[in-house]
Amino acid sequence: MKKGSSVFRVFSFIEPLFFSFHYLSGRRRFFVVIFGAAVALTITRLLVPIYIGHAVSSIEERDLSGAISSAVFIVYVSAIAGVMRFLVNYLSQYMSQVYAYNLRGDLFRHLLRKKVSFFENETSGDLLSRMTMDVRASRNFILATMAQLIPTMLLIAFSLYFLFNIRPVYALTFFLVVPLLIYTGIIFQKKQRTHWRNIRLEYGRMNEELQENITGQRVVRGFSAEEQEKRKFVNTTKSYYHEYITISRLRGLFINLMPLIVASAATGILMIGGSSLIKTGLSVGPLVSAVNIFIMMGFPISFLGRLIVFSENARAGINRMQTILSGTMEEDFASGKDKIPGNDVEFSDVSFSRDGKLVLRDITLRAYPGETLGITGKTAAGKSTLASLIPRFYDPTSGDVRLGGISVRELKLHTLRSFISLVPQEVNIFSGTIRYNIIFGNNRNSDDRMRRVAEISRISRFIEDLPEGYDTVVGERGITLSGGQKQRIGVARALYTEPHILILDDATSSVDPQTELEMLQAIRRERGDLSIIIISHRDSVLRFCDRVVRIEDGTISALNGEMPGNEKSATGTKRAGALGDG
Amino acid sequence: MAETYEEAEEKIMKSGRSSKAFGRLIRMIIGQKRETLLLVTAVVISAISGTVYPLALGYAINGVVQRNAILLALYALLFILSYLIRFFFNRLRTITSTKLAQITVKKLRDDAFSTLQYTPMSFFSKVKTGYLISRISNDAENLSDFLTFQLPQVIGGITTVIISIAIMSYLDFSLTLYALIIIPVMVTFTISLQGKIRKNYLRTRKTIAAITGNLAENISSIRTIKSFGVEDRTYDDFDMLNRKNFSANIKASFLSSIYGSAVNIMESAGIAIVIVAGSMQLMSGLITVGLLVSFIVYVQEFFDPVLQLSQLYNSYQASVVGLVRIFGIIDSPTEASFSGLRVNPEIFEKLEFRNVYFSYGKEDVLKDINLTIRKGDKLAIVGHTGAGKTTLLNLFLRFYSPTGGTIMLNGTNIEKVSIKSWRSLISPVLQDPFLFDGTVLENIRFSRPEVDLDLINKLAREYGLDEIFDSLPNGLATRVGEMGRNLSEGQRQAISVMRAFIRESPFIVLDEPTSQIDPESETVIIRSLKKYLENRTLVLITHRFSMLPLADRIVVINNGMVEGAGGFHDLMERSPTFSELYSIHNAGKR
Repeated sequence: MKKGSSVFRVFSFIEPLFFSFHYLSGRRRFFVVIFGAAVALTITRLLVPIYIGHAVSSIEERDLSGAISSAVFIVYVSAIAGVMRFLVNYLSQYMSQVYAYNLRGDLFRHLLRKKVSFFENETSGDLLSRMTMDVRASRNFILATMAQLIPTMLLIAFSLYFLFNIRPVYALTFFLVVPLLIYTGIIFQKKQRTHWRNIRLEYGRMNEELQENITGQRVVRGFSAEEQEKRKFVNTTKSYYHEYITISRLRGLFINLMPLIVASAATGILMIGGSSLIKTGLSVGPLVSAVNIFIMMGFPISFLGRLIVFSENARAGINRMQTILSGTMEEDFASGKDKIPGNDVEFSDVSFSRDGKLVLRDITLRAYPGETLGITGKTAAGKSTLASLIPRFYDPTSGDVRLGGISVRELKLHTLRSFISLVPQEVNIFSGTIRYNIIFGNNRNSDDRMRRVAEISRISRFIEDLPEGYDTVVGERGITLSGGQKQRIGVARALYTEPHILILDDATSSVDPQTELEMLQAIRRERGDLSIIIISHRDSVLRFCDRVVRIEDGTISALNGEMPGNEKSATGTKRAGALGDG
Repeated sequence: MAETYEEAEEKIMKSGRSSKAFGRLIRMIIGQKRETLLLVTAVVISAISGTVYPLALGYAINGVVQRNAILLALYALLFILSYLIRFFFNRLRTITSTKLAQITVKKLRDDAFSTLQYTPMSFFSKVKTGYLISRISNDAENLSDFLTFQLPQVIGGITTVIISIAIMSYLDFSLTLYALIIIPVMVTFTISLQGKIRKNYLRTRKTIAAITGNLAENISSIRTIKSFGVEDRTYDDFDMLNRKNFSANIKASFLSSIYGSAVNIMESAGIAIVIVAGSMQLMSGLITVGLLVSFIVYVQEFFDPVLQLSQLYNSYQASVVGLVRIFGIIDSPTEASFSGLRVNPEIFEKLEFRNVYFSYGKEDVLKDINLTIRKGDKLAIVGHTGAGKTTLLNLFLRFYSPTGGTIMLNGTNIEKVSIKSWRSLISPVLQDPFLFDGTVLENIRFSRPEVDLDLINKLAREYGLDEIFDSLPNGLATRVGEMGRNLSEGQRQAISVMRAFIRESPFIVLDEPTSQIDPESETVIIRSLKKYLENRTLVLITHRFSMLPLADRIVVINNGMVEGAGGFHDLMERSPTFSELYSIHNAGKR
């Protein structure tokens, strides 16, 4: 069993290679080229020590022309080796880059398809490091395998052949050493594995602490917790340090042990070969060749030890990437109807639970075409979740959500989502111009419309006062916007797509009540047919709504306002009394 | 795209010259005297032993040629001995270089972290979090690779070359010259190609940075992307960056592969030259076969260090850029007055704003503010969003300093008072109830880890917050999650209020603490605040009238100026902003 697991480890060592095949389709023939070039490289490289031996033999026999022709041969085979080396290195790089490019693309494609709930269980820093660090780690291994491991393996194999041709006993000496080298490698891999895992954990923790500390600086300072935070961080860097030192002890021993093993074999050959030559009086040239072959091996073999680390990192990375690549928790974009007959929203007996907790229960509710429906209730009562069911960020656990009478599950996702605009409380501003942020997600590019929606959203004055107007760069690389400005841009962005249903999920909480009210009235004036669902705590907003429902503990607790029948309600002017604080 | 932002950041960080930064790094390393001494010894001895083995091999071969078994055995022994010495000292080198590198990297990280705790708050509005994290974790990591592997290897290699040349010259000067003939060719070749290689290499780094930036933005905006159905366009944008990175890498690896091959061919040419020149000398009886063999091995040993040296330059570039940035963070100016007068909480009398102005850059956000807060005052500051309320609070907490006028504490300029002791007087409840990953209890204890559980329970009951905490799945032991995302806004704000209460400081500062929460939670929080405020001084910032009963004096801020101050009825008459705010609020009342 124990032996079996060691053998298994040797195979698991090259696991990332199997993973990579998928991302190299169409280019696998390059493997053959790389392998062929590596064979040619190995043979021509090994011919150099052979010709050195020949040269020494010629010199021994005072044969100048023989020595010179050996020298010419050396340059000649080296030139071929040079070309082959170029092929191996360049093509390996090429392949590894193709792999990285395809893998990264595939990861991103999967990521874009993931359900919203996927992102709630992963930290963004984690996802980011999978798509950068882990891709790099596995790419490095692919590269090292092609550019280092294959040539080194071939070097070992062909050395045996050449040594055998010089004198079988040289090959035998070397043959005894190879298992020892492999064994050393396996032990090394086994011993350092847990430490690398710890290092990755500590590294992750260090990043988390940094993130928290920087984003929470106001709290840290407000409470004068600077010293305490420093102590915490220093402790983390300390354990990180200790793991590294432990690894360096292992590395110091094993990585340097390998060349020593090779050198002992070379000494053996020198002694065996030398003393028999002294007896036979034959030429010393072949012995020089053999020893030179050994000297050549020292560096590539010591590199093998590093390759083991590469493999460790690559496998850990691939494991982490699998959660993205596995295809679970993804949305179906392809199937469904692409016509929606009306802009009313209907929840029938909708329940929703998350992590075993019931968030919404038995909600039956209808928002009529052209109506402004207010939703209010305690924080975490389930209002945002309710709104998120409409664009299918989540699917109800039971019951159904219908648009114009058709279940949202039967609709094509893009059709559904272009029919509605949902503005969340936290608006994402993308790095780019304000124009880009408003027109976002629209192929039709109309300046007039952009100005119009900015005006409705009560942000046009602010934008036009900026020196660069709509071309002002915002987001991380540009000017910083206040919470209220971001929210107003979010509303403008939503209006630009000319949705049939507008959902404002606490989307104007940082806008002052007066401006907020003006904005809502302007939206109403502009689009009488628009169905609007507003989630808010503000009484002034709720008073604006035609009808208000209160959600409490995941269910509708009160309904206020008149139901519009067949007749559309007057556009927002006829306001039903809002619910009080109850 | 990514470059412009980096440039902007570089301006803020005032990064220095790279040669200077490197010198500073070296001084930091040398500061570890014992480890440095060990490392230098290890590098030198292993380099010397690296020059012994070709010689031993040559003499052993001579032993064979001369049919002298003792000579052979002796030099074979020297041969393996040199490897054995090398093994021990390389091992020492690996360990000490890691140790030195890690000590240095740890120190850089700790120092950078420490600076971040004391930079002016404006620093964080200019530099994004991701940038700082990537400098402190990523760049420091690259540096550690450079210090652990490349640097000692190259120093060892160069030492080997120098000692080899010395030994060779001693053995046979003219043959040494032949052996070195190829070196100038190689140096010229290297210099002519390296410029291009470096440029390509820089491109690969910039393109990968662009990918990372794009990813970070898209991951955090995934809901928006889905809402607008722009997955395809988002993918295309990403693919363009990915493609750029691919082609930059291919170009860079083409050149470096060419370089690697060329160096190998030159190496063989060097060997061939030594063989030809050596055999001619051998014919004339000047040297022995063994010596020629030694020379051949020496020439082979030359080229590895040269190759490494050329690679070293790339990783030097990469890590020194990171190094300059880390030093940039470490050297960022910190708040000057962390030292200064201490405030005794007992003797706090009054805080005065005298003709205070403030601007974040161009325009004045606060203009000519005059304000006095006395011990026991309950002051509310109201105004529309964007009027300058939060800025006023920033000055109050000394996250920023006024750009004009002065703030006086008990008649002394507050700039002279140590920030730390000033802040220790204040319990802040900020608009965003930021929580740290951990349990509710850990967050409540944030500023005072020593406070015991019983007291927290007692205070929670006393202030009526216990209901909220009890409703959590595991009570106070509930984990709040990253940024507190396992909890609702109301629960988070309750923790943030409790965290402030635990501090038991004479001042409490509230910045719209209930703006994002529902009326029920708000009622609970207001009730608990009312209890807590007895005998304490309050500064409350709000645009909601629901909290005004907590205050006994109201200041109205409009467009960065004080529009009025006084009691409720007073302001209804005198301040248009106030009555406007009131009517909006009142519109909601039955």
